[in-house]
Amino acid sequence: QFVPSEPPPPRRPLAYAEHNESEEDVKFRRVFKQLAGEDMEVSPKELMDILNKIISKHAALKTDGFSIESCRSMVAVMDSDSTGKLGFHEFKYLWNNIKKWQGVYLNFDQDGSGVISGEELPGAFTAAGFPLNDQLCQMIVRRYSDESGNLDFDNYIGCLVRLDAMCRAFKTLDKDNNGTIKVNVKEWLQLTMYS
Amino acid sequence: MAGVASTLAKKRALAAGFGTNANAVKYLNQDFHSLRAQSQSQGALFCDPTFAAAPESLGFKDLGRNSPKTRGVTWKRPTELVSSPEFIIGGATRTDICQGGLGDCWLLAAIASLTLNEDVMARVVPSDQDFGDQYAGIFHFQFWQYGEWVDVVIDDRLPVKDGELLFVHSAEGREFWSALLEKAYAKVCGCYEALSGGSTTEGFEDFTGGIAENFDLQNAPPNMFQIVKKALEAGSLLGCSIDITSASDSEAVTRQKLVKGHAYSLTGAVEVGYRGRREKLIRVRNPWGQVEWTGAWSDGSSEWNSVEGECPNANAEDGEFWMSFTEFMRHYSRIEICTLTPDTILDDSIKHWSVGKFDGTWRKGSTAGGCRNNPYTFWTNPQFVIKLNEEDDDPEDGEEGCSVVLGLIQKNRRKMRKSGEDMHTIGFAIYELPEQFHGQTQVHLDKNFFLTHAQKARSETFINLREVSTRFKLPPGEYLVVPSTYEAHLNGDFCIRVFSEKQSQTIPCDDPVEADLVDEEVSDEDVDAGFRGLFTKLAGDDMEISYVELRNILNKIVSKRTDIKTDGFCCETCRVMVNLLDDSGNGKLGLGEFATLWKKVQKYLTIYKQNDGDNSGTMSTPELRVALKTAGFTLNNAIYQMLVCRYAEPDMTMDFDNFVACLMRLEMMFRIFQKLDPEDSGTVEVTLDQWLNIAMV
Repeated sequence: QFVPSEPPPPRRPLAYAEHNESEEDVKFRRVFKQLAGEDMEVSPKELMDILNKIISKHAALKTDGFSIESCRSMVAVMDSDSTGKLGFHEFKYLWNNIKKWQGVYLNFDQDGSGVISGEELPGAFTAAGFPLNDQLCQMIVRRYSDESGNLDFDNYIGCLVRLDAMCRAFKTLDKDNNGTIKVNVKEWLQLTMYS
Repeated sequence: MAGVASTLAKKRALAAGFGTNANAVKYLNQDFHSLRAQSQSQGALFCDPTFAAAPESLGFKDLGRNSPKTRGVTWKRPTELVSSPEFIIGGATRTDICQGGLGDCWLLAAIASLTLNEDVMARVVPSDQDFGDQYAGIFHFQFWQYGEWVDVVIDDRLPVKDGELLFVHSAEGREFWSALLEKAYAKVCGCYEALSGGSTTEGFEDFTGGIAENFDLQNAPPNMFQIVKKALEAGSLLGCSIDITSASDSEAVTRQKLVKGHAYSLTGAVEVGYRGRREKLIRVRNPWGQVEWTGAWSDGSSEWNSVEGECPNANAEDGEFWMSFTEFMRHYSRIEICTLTPDTILDDSIKHWSVGKFDGTWRKGSTAGGCRNNPYTFWTNPQFVIKLNEEDDDPEDGEEGCSVVLGLIQKNRRKMRKSGEDMHTIGFAIYELPEQFHGQTQVHLDKNFFLTHAQKARSETFINLREVSTRFKLPPGEYLVVPSTYEAHLNGDFCIRVFSEKQSQTIPCDDPVEADLVDEEVSDEDVDAGFRGLFTKLAGDDMEISYVELRNILNKIVSKRTDIKTDGFCCETCRVMVNLLDDSGNGKLGLGEFATLWKKVQKYLTIYKQNDGDNSGTMSTPELRVALKTAGFTLNNAIYQMLVCRYAEPDMTMDFDNFVACLMRLEMMFRIFQKLDPEDSGTVEVTLDQWLNIAMV
C-alpha cells in the first residue's frame, strides 16, 4: 500500500546530463555546483550545512538542527556505490522529497506547535505517501520522537528519508512482487548496516 | 539502502544470465524494438533524448560548444545526405571505414579488424536493421562493457559539416553502418570527443569481450610471426603502431609513407616463395583509407613479379598494403593482439582458452590498499586465487608450465574524463599460495603474510591505462592475485580476467561473513546490588533509562578518559542503541536491558583499546578490520567498505562513539538474522512489515 516516489534515475555520464534539462533543472544544477564543490558530490557534512542553513530561515519548523549522524544515515540509505557521497540526481531526488515533506509537515502541524505530535503522525505520513499500520506508527514514534512524543523537523525528515529508502529497497528486491524478499546473510548486512 | 538494494538486484540479474551477448543489458533502459515500433506507429523518425543532436554530444573542449572545429556543424540523417542510403552494402568490409576529423584512429583500426571476423561483427552490429521498410531513424549496436554486453540505441542524426560527415564515413559514400557504430560508441563514452586518443586494444575489447596483449617489437618474442599468424587464424583482432618520440611527431609521415603515432590494423600474414626462398609478408591497413607504404612489397612494386606459386595481391589505393615482416619489425614499434574469449568463436577447430572474470572495487579507507609500497594497507586490497591444474600441451617455446594471461581493467574512467578524472595507475602482484590455504575459498590473507612472503610475479608495470594485461608461464599450483592502484586510498571499480590455455579456476577469496556471538544477556535478577544502586541513581523515578539519560551517562564516562578519542555520543546514536536493546518495546531501557548494554559497551571498550596499535586514541580503518575479528566478526570486502563509509571520519579514523554504534548495530543485525533463520539455512524471507520493523531502527 506504500507509494514511494519514483527512484532517482541511474547515474549518467555528465556529458549528456546537462542538456535536455528544464529551466528549473538548470537553475538547480547551478545551485548544486555551489553546494557540492569541486567534486560535484555531496558529502554528509555538506548535506548537514545545507539543511541547517535552510531550516534557520523557517521559523515555523521547530528543530534542534540536523546532526552529522543523521546526515550520514541519509546519505548512506541513498548511496549505491559506497563512496559515501550523493551525486546530482540523488541529491535532487532527496531535495524534492524534502520540499514535498516540508509542505506536509506544515499542513499537519494542526496546533501550530512547530512539531508533529504522536496524534498528528499517522495523517502526516499517509499524506507523505506512507500509510502505516498502528504497530509501525508506534514503533516510529518510539524510535524518532523526543521524550514528550513529538517529532521535530529534523527527526521527521530523517525518518521519512529512511522509510522511503526502505520501501524502495524492498520493492527493488521483490522482483516477483509476492510481498516477501529473500536475502542471504551477506545481503542482509549490506542492506541493514549501510543505513 | 535503496542504493544498496539496486546494486544487489543488479548483481542477482547478472547471475541469472543478463549481460550476455544474447541477453544484453539495455543501455539506459532503452529497448530498440519497442522504440522502433513506437516511432513507426507515430509515423515519426526516432529522436534520442539521451544523446541529443546538440553540441554537448560532440565534445567539451576541442569539440566543445563554439569551438572552431564545430562551427557550422549540423545534424543530418543519412536520408537527407544521399538519395538511397544503405546500412551495409555487400557485407562489412575494411574499406567501409575512413577516418574523419576525430583522433579516433585507434577505434577505427579496431572496427576495421572487426570486419575480418563475421561472427564477431554480427554480435556488435545486429543484422535486424536497415534503411528499408522497417526504417524509423533508429539503430542499435552491442558493446562489451567491463564484463557485460550492453545494447545501445541511437537515432541516425549524424554531425555534418559542409555537406560531409564530420567523423567516420565509408569510401563508398552511401553506406552508413560504420558512422552509426561510431555514434553509438560515442554515446557509451559520453560524447565524440571522449573517443579522441586511446589504444586500439580498448576498441578491440569492447567489440569482442576478449583480452588484449601488447607486444613491444624491440623485445619481441622470437616466434612473433607465428604468434601473429596463429592469432589471425584464431579470429583474434590485431593492430600495430609506430611510437612517437615527441608530440610534434604525432601523425608525422615518414619518407616511405608510414604514419607515426597512428593506429593501423594488421589484417594478414603469409609466407610466399620468392627467388628460391620463403619470404614472410604482413598486410597492414591505414584507417584513413589512403596513405600507403611505398617501400618493398608495396602495391605494384617489382617484388611481386618474382613471387613463385600462390600470390596474394593488393593494388588498390585503399589504405591497405603489404610489407616484408623483417621490414615491418624494423619500422613498427608495437603489435596489439586481442584474444577472443571462448564464447566469441563458434568455430570448433580453434583451440579455446578457459576464462574467468570477477568484479571488484577499491574504496578509500577499506579496500583501496595501494601497491606493495604500502605495507600497512596493501593486504586490505581485494584478493583472488587462481588454481592452475595442468601444463600446456607441447609448448612452442620449449618451456614447461601453464600459460595464463591476466588482465585488470578499471571501469568507467573514460566517461569521467569530462569531470577531470583520468585513469588510475594500476597493476597487480602474484603470490604462491601456501599449502595450508589450498582448497580454501574463504580466506583473506593478512598483513603478516605479505610482510613475510615475496611475490612470485607481477604485472609488467603499474600504468595509467584502462587495462594492464600480462602473459605468464607458471608451474601448476595455486596462486594469489592482488590487484591494486599504485597509490593507496583511491576509489575505483575494476574487473579482473584470467585466460588460460588449459583448464583453470579463479575464485575471489574473501573472508566468510560470520559472527561468533556469545550470549551475554543479563536478566534483572542477575544484576548485582552495586549495579542496581547505580541504575537507580541514573534512571530516576521511572526506573527506566531513556536515550537522553543514556547519552548523559555515556558522555560523562568518556569525558573522563584521555586514552580514547570521541566527540561525544549524539542523540541519534543513543536512540539507535536504546531501540536495538529494547526488548520490552517501551522505548526505554529497564534494569536488565541496561546491564546488557553496559556489558557490551565495556567489551567494545576493551577491544578498542587492544586494537589501537599506535595509541592514538582512535582506530584507523585497517585497525578496524582486525578489531572486528577480535570481536568475533568476520566480514567480506563489500561490508567493510560500507562500515568505513558509514562510520569513519574523512581522515579514515573511527572514534569511540562511532565504533560503539557500529559494533552494536552489527551485533544486533547478526542476532536478528539468526533469529529469523533458526534452521541456519543461510537465507531469510521477510515481509514488508517485518522488514520495516527491523530496518527503521
